[in-house]
Amino acid sequence: MIRSDQMDRRFIEEVMAEPGGEHLLTCWSCGTCAATCLVRRFNPAFNPRLILHKAGLGLREAVLSSAEIWACSACDTCYPRCPQGIHISQVMRAIRNVAIRAGYEAPGPTAQVDANRCSGCAVCTRICPYEAIERASQNIDGQERVIARVDRNLCQACGLCVAACPSGAMSLEALNDAELLTRMAAGGWLEHAGFLQGASTTPRLLAFVCQWSVRAEDEWQRIQALNDEHLRVVILPCSGRVEPAHILLALSKGVDGVLVMGCHEGACHYQRGTYLGRGKVALLNEMMAQMGIVRERVRFVESSALERRIFEERLALMREAILALRPALEIPAR
Amino acid sequence: MVDAARHPQITIKAYSEVERVDGYIGNFRALVTQKPRYVIEERCTGCGECAPVCPIEVPNPFEMNIAPRKAIDVPHGQAVPLIYAIDMDYCIKCYQCVTACGERDAIDFLQEPRTEEIEVGAIIVATGAAHFNPSVIPEYGYGRYPNVITAMELERLANSSGPTVGRLIRPSDGQVPKSLAFIQCVGSRDKRFNEYCSGYCCMASIKNAILLKQEHPEMEISIFYMDIRSPSKGYEEFYNRARAMGIRFIRGRPAQITEDPQTGNLFIEVEDQDLGQVLEVEVDMAVLATALIPQPDTQQLATTLTLARSPSGFFMEYHPKLRPIDAPTDGIFFAGTAQGPKDIPASVAQGSAAAARAARVLNAETWEIEPVIAHVNPELCISAQGKKCGLCAMACPYNAITVEVGRPALIIPAKCHGCGGCVAECPQNAITQDHFTDAQIVAQMREYLREKPEEKILVLMCHWCSYGGADNAGVSHFQYPPDSRGIRVMCSARMDQDLVLEAFRRGAGMVLVSGCHPQDCHYISGQQVAARRFERLFRTLERLGINPERFRVEWISAAEGEKYARVITEMSQKLASFDKEALRRENEAARKAIMQRLLRWRSLPDMAAVFAEEEEEKEVALE
Repeated sequence: MIRSDQMDRRFIEEVMAEPGGEHLLTCWSCGTCAATCLVRRFNPAFNPRLILHKAGLGLREAVLSSAEIWACSACDTCYPRCPQGIHISQVMRAIRNVAIRAGYEAPGPTAQVDANRCSGCAVCTRICPYEAIERASQNIDGQERVIARVDRNLCQACGLCVAACPSGAMSLEALNDAELLTRMAAGGWLEHAGFLQGASTTPRLLAFVCQWSVRAEDEWQRIQALNDEHLRVVILPCSGRVEPAHILLALSKGVDGVLVMGCHEGACHYQRGTYLGRGKVALLNEMMAQMGIVRERVRFVESSALERRIFEERLALMREAILALRPALEIPAR
Repeated sequence: MVDAARHPQITIKAYSEVERVDGYIGNFRALVTQKPRYVIEERCTGCGECAPVCPIEVPNPFEMNIAPRKAIDVPHGQAVPLIYAIDMDYCIKCYQCVTACGERDAIDFLQEPRTEEIEVGAIIVATGAAHFNPSVIPEYGYGRYPNVITAMELERLANSSGPTVGRLIRPSDGQVPKSLAFIQCVGSRDKRFNEYCSGYCCMASIKNAILLKQEHPEMEISIFYMDIRSPSKGYEEFYNRARAMGIRFIRGRPAQITEDPQTGNLFIEVEDQDLGQVLEVEVDMAVLATALIPQPDTQQLATTLTLARSPSGFFMEYHPKLRPIDAPTDGIFFAGTAQGPKDIPASVAQGSAAAARAARVLNAETWEIEPVIAHVNPELCISAQGKKCGLCAMACPYNAITVEVGRPALIIPAKCHGCGGCVAECPQNAITQDHFTDAQIVAQMREYLREKPEEKILVLMCHWCSYGGADNAGVSHFQYPPDSRGIRVMCSARMDQDLVLEAFRRGAGMVLVSGCHPQDCHYISGQQVAARRFERLFRTLERLGINPERFRVEWISAAEGEKYARVITEMSQKLASFDKEALRRENEAARKAIMQRLLRWRSLPDMAAVFAEEEEEKEVALE
């Protein structure tokens, strides 16, 4: 039971005094944010409505000690839908600021920096959508060096820095290159010749799917059930995590086509992941043309939470395109 | 409606537009234009022979454009008067209707608009409301998913005289839906669109749910709601009946609707607040309970009739509690949703009340008006001297003043409400207001500022809002310092800048002028007149050498006692921070310039008495 002495008026005032926290009390708990929220799929305990409601009651301890206040990735899908016009991610940030002052810390996971590999080039500091990485002077093996440092309270573990780091110094558990390669190749999937090499009657496709670009639960299950010898779906935290090296590796192993699916531009869960992912694919297409590989074999497609069966539709289009390529090409011998 | 049409003393002017309204209570003259029907009203019997032969089908707004109508048709089956009209935007002039009409010879392609002036004693505005278009909410998919429809479309689809003859089918495949969702508060209770509650939609959706459940007991019906609002008589019982019938009520505002492109079925994602869990509910069809919104031409009519609008856009009543049927302009009354969202019983009640209010006017030999009206002194009015002015007419929110060069401005007493805007605006001080003459106000000011004026805050407040706010601060026991002295006038528009200057001339420490918030002004646009005036006054004060920080303008409503107390407290603190000696010097330095500015004002006949006394006082002090 929650007793009235746990309801702390000063906590409400503290949150509302933070920039962005002003609208805390106008929430009437309609649940639009909770039903919109994409984080909930991976973290069912996260419910922005409940956090705002608890904070609005002044339940200081219950709010600040919960791990959920750190889970909001500020994708702002809920903000334009809120009938009260509350910028919920800003309220979350206000609550976090109060929490940080009270000595609480985000539970993670966060990106890790390998101090021996980091050259301090600052690619990651520029790419991070949350401004969670800065460069700082550190003593490494008796040597004073400027390297990247991750603020664990800001990092949302999107993996954009891991994909971007030219030195391989950034890592994120479960999202490292090795892990992705394992997922791609599991069950010896890569060890088969493809349709374009004349080894099969159906194109073999590899799909990198951003975990946020597919919305509904049954949609999600259906996509994963599509995995077979002609299709391998690899789930990424964000389409910006995709790496051209992995794509080229797949093509060289005999995969006929690679589909990268991300959120719509402007609706990216990590703000600029779609931009990065699409940019990488576009650049790779140019390189492929120079290498003599038909550029249609790698595609970036966008999807949104409001579209059902969009993955199957895009996949079918890709298959058709690959089938049409058959007479024209072979991969140049390496 | 049929009874009204048959009544010997009721004339229905359908298909007509009110172009202009002059006059005042009991004596309005309205210019009404009858649009051409291209059918001679007296000859048309409403037999309906013409419509079937017409080859042109056009969208039918009465059927929410689900079904077509003909280019010659009546708006709907029960239309009164039952006279056909040709829609010339679509007519191809094949003249088949002329043939069908035959001997009745009612069709006249040469008909022109006819304008006539009619005299009326009272006007009732019953122009209704429009419906919110939910296609601007992308997450609900209206317009994109065929099976998402609005409540009004459902009304037609479920109506036995509707396009499907009462058979509810879903648009994507024509099948009877096995499951149906009602989504409440679409476009209302939503700050992105309309903040207000439309009021009628909860009961309307429950009504439709009950009717459909009676007809199709196997249909799974869900109502998604934030709060069920059932405050009127018998409504709660009706709601309980719906629950007992097995209609599913889910407390939660749906976040989005997605469609399975293969089946056309809809998935509604919603957090069930009671469970604290997100549900994905698959339904065959979804019905959006859309908001009631003001008619698109509300502003046009407001200008024609000199009416005000509430922040929500509906017509504003004279007083929300005491005179909810009356318009701010006397002799005009409201009925139904033109004044604000309401359901059928409330509209009927308001319609009856409006009729009764209008009957009072029609049966009165004389009409009592506010005793505070304004008068023009013809000798001082510059217009009488052949010069162009008209500032009074521009300030009048009621169009009660006519200005003709060569003649003094004319105020129609029956139209004047006594805001006093013209009194303050007149540069010649030719207009006065009964019970609020400049001399009366200055006499009050004189007494308030007789002793230690530099320690006082002189407050000018409007009768309806700020005076109420000050009163509210008092009855609510909000503490504020005792430095303020308040003078009540009818409207902030009455607050002449000369009054503010006079207060400083008399040595006031600070001056506050305070009126209603712009949307609450009791005199339609009086607050705007005042706001414009005081924006300029800051610069004038600066030029006169008076610190503009000593002058403040605040809009305080009758419910904002807390704000009144806060403003006075802040001003009192500021006043305390000023050096009193410096204040006195500042006043003394500005005194002469102010005197000069107020020369004409001070020479007014009734003003002389106030200032004569002042001279005597001075002499007494000198002695």
